Amino acid sequence: MSLWLYFWLLLKGSLFSMSGLGNVPSVHADLTARGWATERQFAEALAVGQVAPGPNGLWVISLGYLTAGGRGAGLALLAITLPPLLVLAVERLYRRVRHHPAVEGFVRGLGLAAVGIFFWVLLGLLRTAGLTPRSLLITLAALGLGATRRVPAIVILALAALAGVIVR
Amino acid sequence: MDDLAARRRRSSQAPFRPSLFHLGRVWLGIGWQSFGGGASTFALIERAVVRERGWLTEAEYVHDVALAQLSPGINLLGLTILIGRRLGGVGGIFVSLLGLLLPSVTITVLMTAAYARLQHLPAVQSALRGVIPATVGLGLLTAANLARALLAAARREGRMSLCFSLILLAGSGLVLALWHPPVILVLCGAGLLGAVAGRGRGKTA
Repeated sequence: MSLWLYFWLLLKGSLFSMSGLGNVPSVHADLTARGWATERQFAEALAVGQVAPGPNGLWVISLGYLTAGGRGAGLALLAITLPPLLVLAVERLYRRVRHHPAVEGFVRGLGLAAVGIFFWVLLGLLRTAGLTPRSLLITLAALGLGATRRVPAIVILALAALAGVIVR
Repeated sequence: MDDLAARRRRSSQAPFRPSLFHLGRVWLGIGWQSFGGGASTFALIERAVVRERGWLTEAEYVHDVALAQLSPGINLLGLTILIGRRLGGVGGIFVSLLGLLLPSVTITVLMTAAYARLQHLPAVQSALRGVIPATVGLGLLTAANLARALLAAARREGRMSLCFSLILLAGSGLVLALWHPPVILVLCGAGLLGAVAGRGRGKTA
């Protein structure tokens, strides 16, 4: 595994995303195609990202650790910290092109595509857990509990872990 | 007292700058409490720098939040960078990022390391059979919220714009599933289509 390429793939994912999970589709495609990460490692890293404090975007650090150890985690940290610094350039530019319709359109198109692809990636992850009635039920339950905004993600995941252990 | 002093400073013209040490400590506090990700952390930041200390006005904060949405990568980091610069220049950016990330990154790595050690235990395996579907469920919720925000903006512009957005949303996933092009290509393509459509709207409006 070339660490430079590895770093660049993580950096690229982050550069072309507008949110912490926006890089999932790109990083997923790039790393699994090279056999540098498995579907399962993605699912695990995303789960850690949901449970741990901080932005959910830190899931990449967990993936870095799972796929390339401490070095991977360090590179992942760098790859997600550098792109947001561009906000300083965006701020300067923004004063001039703020209301330009093409700029708004580009940002929205990018966001829509990222969400559309994200749905497919999630379905792929679900397959790794097995498309059983039980896992579908847990998915729906987590979705429902999350939608109430009353139950913290960490509680939902703890309940799901419990369900995984108890329900056979 | 902190609050009062800050308010007095805010009413004068010179922007207030806390010491870098103080700034880092405040962000460290936010970092420790930032369980639950995005929305709750935005609320923590607002309380810490706007309502409790008055380091930023509400208007400045809202401006920074809007810009952070446009920054590449994690929006929360974009916001941290903007506020850090306001309050302490380049050094402010550094200590703010450090403070926010130090606790959460450390815990993320420790949790992953613990998981990597324990993953072969049967109990961990069966817990994971519950956790993965739940992660997907929470992810679907995130995706649905993002989609709703984007589609709401399109709906305000009329039916054409809404239909176009729905096609981009569904089409990009479909194109990827059918032909497996590079993801970046799909993202940039959708962005360009959006830009063209946006320009079209700008002309007719």
